[in-house]
Amino acid sequence: MSSARPRLAPETPKMVTAWDTATGRTVYMTPSREWSVNIADGAVLVGAAADDALAFAASDEGRATDPYVMQVSPLGEIDGREIIRETIRAVGPTNHPMFGKQAGNP
Amino acid sequence: MPLIKGGAPVSCSRRFFADEETPPDPNDAIVSLGRLVAAGGDVFRSVRLMPADDPLALAPHIRRLDLIEIAFPGFRDGRGFSAAQLLRRRLGYTGELRAVGQVLRDQVFFMARSGFDAFLIDDPHAEEIVAAALSEFTVAYQSAADDTRTIWERRWNARPAHTRRDDR
Amino acid sequence: MYRYDEFDEALVRERAAQFRGQVARRLSGALKEDAFKPLRLMNGVYLQLHAYMLRVAIPYGQLDPAKLRQLAMIADRYDKGYGHFTTRQNIQYNWIRLADMPDVLDALADVEMHAIQTSGNCIRNVTSDHLAGAAADEIEDPRPWCEIIRQWSTLHPEFSFLPRKFKIAVTAAETDRAAVRVHDIGLHIRRNGDGEIGFEVIVGGGQGRTPHVGVTIRDWIAKAELLSYLEAIMRVYNRFGRRDNKYKARIKILVNELGPEAFAEAVDTEYAAQGVHEAVLLPQGEIDRITEYFASPDLPERPARSVTFEAARAADPALDRWARVNLRRHRTPGYTSAYISLKSQGEAPGDMTGDQMRVAADIAEQFGFGDIRVAHEQDLVLPHLAIDDLPEVHRRLRDAGLAASNAGLASDLIACPGLDYCNLSNARSISVGNAIQAVFEDPEFEERVGPLHINISGCINACGHHHVGHIGVLGVDKKGEEYYQITFGGRADEKAAIGDIIGPALKGDDVAPALRRVIAAYLDLRKGPGEKFIDAYTRLGPAPFKEALYAVD
Ligand code: SF4
Repeated sequence: MSSARPRLAPETPKMVTAWDTATGRTVYMTPSREWSVNIADGAVLVGAAADDALAFAASDEGRATDPYVMQVSPLGEIDGREIIRETIRAVGPTNHPMFGKQAGNP
Repeated sequence: MPLIKGGAPVSCSRRFFADEETPPDPNDAIVSLGRLVAAGGDVFRSVRLMPADDPLALAPHIRRLDLIEIAFPGFRDGRGFSAAQLLRRRLGYTGELRAVGQVLRDQVFFMARSGFDAFLIDDPHAEEIVAAALSEFTVAYQSAADDTRTIWERRWNARPAHTRRDDR
Repeated sequence: MYRYDEFDEALVRERAAQFRGQVARRLSGALKEDAFKPLRLMNGVYLQLHAYMLRVAIPYGQLDPAKLRQLAMIADRYDKGYGHFTTRQNIQYNWIRLADMPDVLDALADVEMHAIQTSGNCIRNVTSDHLAGAAADEIEDPRPWCEIIRQWSTLHPEFSFLPRKFKIAVTAAETDRAAVRVHDIGLHIRRNGDGEIGFEVIVGGGQGRTPHVGVTIRDWIAKAELLSYLEAIMRVYNRFGRRDNKYKARIKILVNELGPEAFAEAVDTEYAAQGVHEAVLLPQGEIDRITEYFASPDLPERPARSVTFEAARAADPALDRWARVNLRRHRTPGYTSAYISLKSQGEAPGDMTGDQMRVAADIAEQFGFGDIRVAHEQDLVLPHLAIDDLPEVHRRLRDAGLAASNAGLASDLIACPGLDYCNLSNARSISVGNAIQAVFEDPEFEERVGPLHINISGCINACGHHHVGHIGVLGVDKKGEEYYQITFGGRADEKAAIGDIIGPALKGDDVAPALRRVIAAYLDLRKGPGEKFIDAYTRLGPAPFKEALYAVD
């Protein structure tokens, strides 16, 4: 099933993303290991730091559900094979832009 | 591991013996279906059914048995529910029917309705878990292997006699 | 319509209370997601791309004004003002917070609704003909048996942890509007040689990865035996259905691997072995009690031809078109059934706002005898309307943006939520659907093309029923790009068939232009306006349509 995420090489820049447990909203892990609905706040990680962050996320069940790493550019922009999916997760459904994040509706 | 029967913890001296083990006392041994059938006669009185086992294979032995365990390997394998119903309703088994393996709180209600009367649960709070699970629903539509009066029966009996027209 | 008594209500309330406890345990951290997931799934709660999604059961698609208004309230208060009607006659909400779920379930229980068994490996919501009780071509109303099956399957002690999900559909009309041949079990209400009414039993239909048209294992079974016979089928499936591979776990695989005859024999053996005390006997009085709820509304006598309506439609081309396309024949002269299309150009198919739901509820209350249905085509239906009232009904629908005149035509397409919402998706369904709709923007052209079912799924799970679309569109992912595989020749009706895969998948932007060429080819090739797309395809085979699909403009 396509819910299996692609494998990423250790040197590929990544961001840890998950769902907020109480609201279900898309969230990104920040450098201080908090969770933000804003992708701009997300930490860009490579190598072991990304593995550590994901392990922490998996232990943070009360706040974040089903964490995984997604591919980003070194600047934190969505990148790679799942660019459409992750853009939709970040921004909202393409058919209903008024329901996305830009509507101030996290 | 707590064994809950009739709403309370009970102890049981029987344990499962794998096919290559020799039990000191066959009366205290729970064995596989294959071993029970192979032994024939009246050697064992307890058996453990695995999900793929055919419960109807117990038909010739059913009167001698007083403990049947049904193993649940995980949440997703529901074959044990059919096995229980067949034992209780098809074969008329009246002895202890024990759920073992992954006995999960949210399946206990379905297990009880399917005919299980004992639950082996790997949790110190097993007693409360079973009590809570069995009190969550006070109504059920279908007849099953337990003695719940179904909604269909209750509705029917709640009606004044002159409106009953059960012509079957 | 069925009304809950204290027992039905108790069960739904108890289930809502149980889930409140489970959600509290999850939010407090006492339950981990791994343990919580199967529990939330048993209550229709999924975690989708953006948020938790709640799928609410609408048994056999039956609504009334109070229910629809409550659905509107939930959309406005707990969601973002809209809901999505599905091919399972259910409604899904896309944005509900987990913390709010228990309150939503309570609000549903207030109007005799629930989310029980809308997901998980259990017997799902029973579906039926959306024109039941109104259609001119049905033997009798199938809804009482749908309700009986709903009750029988609710928290079934033996069949709640099946190898895979299980879908049952019931129809009673020769024209099958409930797609019973592509369900795990399809029940077709029929008369036997003695004129007695019973059920033809069809098993093993289904879509997804390995689509199958179901096979009849019993030509006819008496009503009194139905539930016991269903238990026999379910038991054979529960015991012998495959559990080693999720993709091979549906009953269609078991039926296919055993062969239909051997499967039927296994069911018959199990059925014959049932003792009297095992039979599921429903007292006749209980059947009567349930049936009474579905008595036809009291339809005052009306002239078969309505002068008011004829005059209004002569003066208003929009009303005329809507009436020509969206109405279906009612069994009572002077009445009609009308589609409320949820497929306006550019909208997400099946989506409806809270305000629109209230408009539909008001219309149903004032003109429609309080009866509203969800069709599996993701539209609503008002089954009983007096023809005299149509001008006013149409005016109100139009004012609410609900008067799209396309029922059964190309732009009335089916589309799952796809990659805009769904966590399992490969590609978007809504955007490609909107692009296809635009091909048929000119209503005269669309009417000229005639009846055409275009069904779109965002992945092989086939929630958008692409296998049984006259034209099917399936989203596939090719190295991160959205592609779409096209099938032709599927159908969901009494001549059910799985569509043929035509060739390599097309890029998203190429789908609508390619289908425009296919339609042009069809218009050229058809014998006349009476030959539908599906019939022309059946007559001519794939070649000319394939050529048009891959031609370069
Ligand atoms: S067909 Fe696939 S993409 Fe569409 S709703 Fe179903 S699972 Fe999601």
